[in-house]
Amino acid sequence: MHEQDRIKAHVSARWATSLLALALVTVPSALRAEDESEPPVATDVTVVTASSAGDCPFGVPDARGARRLNIQRAPDELLREGRVGFASSHGSVGGSSSSSPASRAHRGTIDVEIFGKMAADGVLPTERSTDAEFLRRAMLDLTGQIPTTAALTAFLADQRPDKRALAVENLLRSDTFNDRWAMWLGDLLENVKTTAANGIEQPLGRDAFSAYLRTSLAQAKPYDQLAREILAGNGDSFTDGPPNFWVRNLATMGVAQDTWDNQAAAAGEKFLGLQVNCTGCHNGAGHTDAVNVYLSTKTRMDFWKNAAFFAQTTVATAMDPASAQRKYLLSNNTTGSYLLNTTSGNRPARAPVTGQPNKVDPAFYLTGEKPQAGTPLRAEFARMLTAHPQFARATVNYIWKEMFGVGIVEPTDGFDLYRLDPAVLPPGQTLQASHPALLAQLATQFSSGGYDLRALLRTMANSEAYQLSARYTPGAWSETYTRYFARRITRRMTSEQLLDAVFSASGVWPTGTSPDALTVQGWATPPVRAMQLPDPLEAPGGTRYNAFLNTFLRGNRDTNPRSSDTSALQALALMNDANTIQPRILQSNASSLVSRTLKATAKPEDVVDALWLGTLSRTPTAAEKASAVTYLKSGTLGPKTENLQWALFNKLEFAFY
Amino acid sequence: MPSHKEICDACTLGGSFPIRGEGLSRRRLFRVAGSAIVGSYFADVLIPPRLEAAAAPALQGTARNCIFVFMSGAPSHSDTWDLKEGAWTPAAFAPTSFGGVRFAQGLMPKIAGQLDKFVFVRPVLSWAAVHSLAQTWAQKSRNPTGVLGDVSPHIGAVVSLESQAQRKPGDILPGFVGLGTSSMIGSGYMSSRYAPLVVPSVSTTGLQSVKPPNAAVFAERYSLLQTLDTDRAPGSPYGDVPADMADFYTQAKALADSPTINATFSYNAADYARYGSTQFGATAIIAKQLLAANQGTRFVQLTVGGWDNHANIYAANAGLTTQMKFFDPAIGTLVADLAATPGAAAGKTLLDETLVVLIGEFGRTVGPVNAQGGRDHFQRMSVAFAGGGVRGGRAIGVTDATANKVVDFGWSGNRDIRIEDLTSTIYSALGIDYTTVLHNDPIGRGYEYVPFAKDGVYRPVAEIF
Repeated sequence: MHEQDRIKAHVSARWATSLLALALVTVPSALRAEDESEPPVATDVTVVTASSAGDCPFGVPDARGARRLNIQRAPDELLREGRVGFASSHGSVGGSSSSSPASRAHRGTIDVEIFGKMAADGVLPTERSTDAEFLRRAMLDLTGQIPTTAALTAFLADQRPDKRALAVENLLRSDTFNDRWAMWLGDLLENVKTTAANGIEQPLGRDAFSAYLRTSLAQAKPYDQLAREILAGNGDSFTDGPPNFWVRNLATMGVAQDTWDNQAAAAGEKFLGLQVNCTGCHNGAGHTDAVNVYLSTKTRMDFWKNAAFFAQTTVATAMDPASAQRKYLLSNNTTGSYLLNTTSGNRPARAPVTGQPNKVDPAFYLTGEKPQAGTPLRAEFARMLTAHPQFARATVNYIWKEMFGVGIVEPTDGFDLYRLDPAVLPPGQTLQASHPALLAQLATQFSSGGYDLRALLRTMANSEAYQLSARYTPGAWSETYTRYFARRITRRMTSEQLLDAVFSASGVWPTGTSPDALTVQGWATPPVRAMQLPDPLEAPGGTRYNAFLNTFLRGNRDTNPRSSDTSALQALALMNDANTIQPRILQSNASSLVSRTLKATAKPEDVVDALWLGTLSRTPTAAEKASAVTYLKSGTLGPKTENLQWALFNKLEFAFY
Repeated sequence: MPSHKEICDACTLGGSFPIRGEGLSRRRLFRVAGSAIVGSYFADVLIPPRLEAAAAPALQGTARNCIFVFMSGAPSHSDTWDLKEGAWTPAAFAPTSFGGVRFAQGLMPKIAGQLDKFVFVRPVLSWAAVHSLAQTWAQKSRNPTGVLGDVSPHIGAVVSLESQAQRKPGDILPGFVGLGTSSMIGSGYMSSRYAPLVVPSVSTTGLQSVKPPNAAVFAERYSLLQTLDTDRAPGSPYGDVPADMADFYTQAKALADSPTINATFSYNAADYARYGSTQFGATAIIAKQLLAANQGTRFVQLTVGGWDNHANIYAANAGLTTQMKFFDPAIGTLVADLAATPGAAAGKTLLDETLVVLIGEFGRTVGPVNAQGGRDHFQRMSVAFAGGGVRGGRAIGVTDATANKVVDFGWSGNRDIRIEDLTSTIYSALGIDYTTVLHNDPIGRGYEYVPFAKDGVYRPVAEIF
């Protein structure tokens, strides 16, 4: 615990005099550096073996040769009790417990599991990232921004052995942290002002939700509390955030049950990482057998029972006179019920089995638990959902993907609960999780540690696994190493990260006066950073940054998910877009890095250093410097510097990290 | 969130991967956003037994190009390519006989004027009535949740790959272009060279950002970039993702240097008006120009939505009526213009050399409309073909009174036509061996252009030619 105490002491001492030139917010006591000790893996779990699960779960092939699964109920019972546990597959990897940089012992959960599995399977990890590589990456991943030259230089000069952990700490407390993770939450919950076929939040509803999410992050609201507030929220969608979740998932052109189904489907996907929606139209068996073992044991009735939790919601609308936008007013009632009597709408007809009642009583999808009397149904649903271990697992996995590039479970919204535990894998099936014990342990830490997002991110960012270089140097890279996390998986910046990076590297931010502004419908003052935009449908036509943002595929949080695909149009945008990079490389633009550098120096060597530091967040190598200096000396310094700045913006390592 | 009725048949184990042999085929619903990351997770997937390799099939080979008009949302087949009249049919649709084909001339007057060029394929059955699943299936020609489904390329990328050998110096346009959408299925595991150039919207001024302000300065900058950026070299330790981007820079440079690029990607007011004065019409103009330029583009997809008419399908100011107000003039004029444009080969028109495909992801319910005055998802569908050597003015196959079940399949397969058969047809038209299996896929099981085509399970609907 020696190192953690030192970190704690350093952070409190350095608090007011941080060397990193980042804006820091007043930090409530809850956010002070947490003890990095990890709770032990629970010892009172029952590990289900194949024999205790009954006979071979495989059934008889049907007419098409498909095997219908005949899973016994045992895993479900254990799921209900939250008692399925995974033995750590690797224990502690050796290595000294010294905290000296020379021997970075793999003591934390993440490093034990990640490096342990590599060692066991003979995969070589690459080397540690350089300080420059680390800072740019951590800043982009945690705050969506690249480091300023001042921050970078200070970090490189810092001699303290724990400077990386300190940097992480400061990033977790920054205002830009809240922007970046509000963007992530907005993507996850698909907060957007309008949709093609679902509910319309309107700009005011979108703003209320966006502000709510950001404030919740800034206040370090526990993630389970956030989820409960969203799932059970009532109020006015233009003033309260949570009702917009309901609005977003409204089913148009259909019956009320369609909306209740949508709410349940969204809750399952966003907060449990499960495609319960597959059973929203038909039983799992005979449909999902080949893609999801768990879902093929669930029925449409299970889905209806789950959706029934949403049936006691009163939804009214009202026209807001000031904005001429329609808002929604949510409240609870005690009389609504989920009836099986629909023949039209968005889903196949709902009818009870002959002799069965046509009213479905609520029961939680994962456990069958029924709501307690006297509590609103959605609040009960939210309680059950957030108490279930899958909530923690899914959330940890979503965050893991944000930081590491690939989930421990893929796809992150398609968990197969019967393929997570190596000890209870149905025969013929393979494990869905690349590191099942790691996922289980991180989930346990998350849930027993108060569902603290910053604590989770801290654990990830401080691991040696996270800090591996993106360059793979031990030998030839194979794509099979990806799921071992043998190196940092290179990714393209998102639209917002990239635009902000162009602003930051050049030093030329939008003036805020249209058209040189990130205008947002209804906002008197546009945000300064793209990462502060409340949804990817902004900025409406007329601003100069819209095309650039769309070319990098920020999606529409509806029919078009955000994508990190690359394209020739993106290359064209980086090379030629008249509004983004072009004006920012000009010596005649007094704010530009080129202009400021040339005012400060006439030495090509210094120019090269300044451009590399400001744009690529590192110093040039000797070879690069020689090459660039030769180029600068081949003509008039001003135009050559502009060309060099252009080249650095188009260097692959600018947009990829 | 999906918001429409989902009658899913594709999650069943039918589809393009019939199970053979022992054990369960292990498929994964697996998406890894935006990178070339593929991996060993497929290593244990059952590989179907290989039959004796059949001799290469006879190919139609009458087309060089394809315009793939993807009608996303699923148009009502019983109102369009397989018209079935009833009490529900608005008088304004003006059903008319064109030889043996009943067609809603009032709804689609311009296409009606070109009916001699169209063949309607009617006994088609979608695998699934779920939008995203069926859309992806139609564009990849396989079950997206099946083996290699996730990393399979768009059929346009396969066409682009196949046309590489025919590219000549000066062919600066990508083989595959997508217009009218901001995101498309790409080249999957294949090189990004075959990925579509995706242009969400077109304008009178051409492609945004294509032209640098100063050509000489651009050339110098680009040259400097190549010198400085060692990460662009093959074998960069950063892996595939940046390497794909490096490829795109090469493509982009060729576009930026082209003297004709702006003309190819822009249109004038006169054409715009003829094509219906809409953005969709404009994309049809660009599609024609891309092919007429004969600079490398061979497959153009136009994506057009709004067909998901669960409600008010026959309203005078909604549903099919408003859809066809822009769709009809665009497609009708496009086909007429293609027929009036010379092709690459002497004596051929551009229509002779271009297979036009009008296809959605499934059909819509038939007979009387639903409680909201609309039609819901339905697996029975129809597809329209024109150009590329097809014999127009007819229909293949006969459905029953409501366009539900098939009365006469009308083709040699004598069964429901599947998307895999339609893809085989497109490849055959283009002279591409649809039974090809490439052995360069990430898991080494072989990428089939059309799954099981080499085993004779699927084949072209040669009757359209």
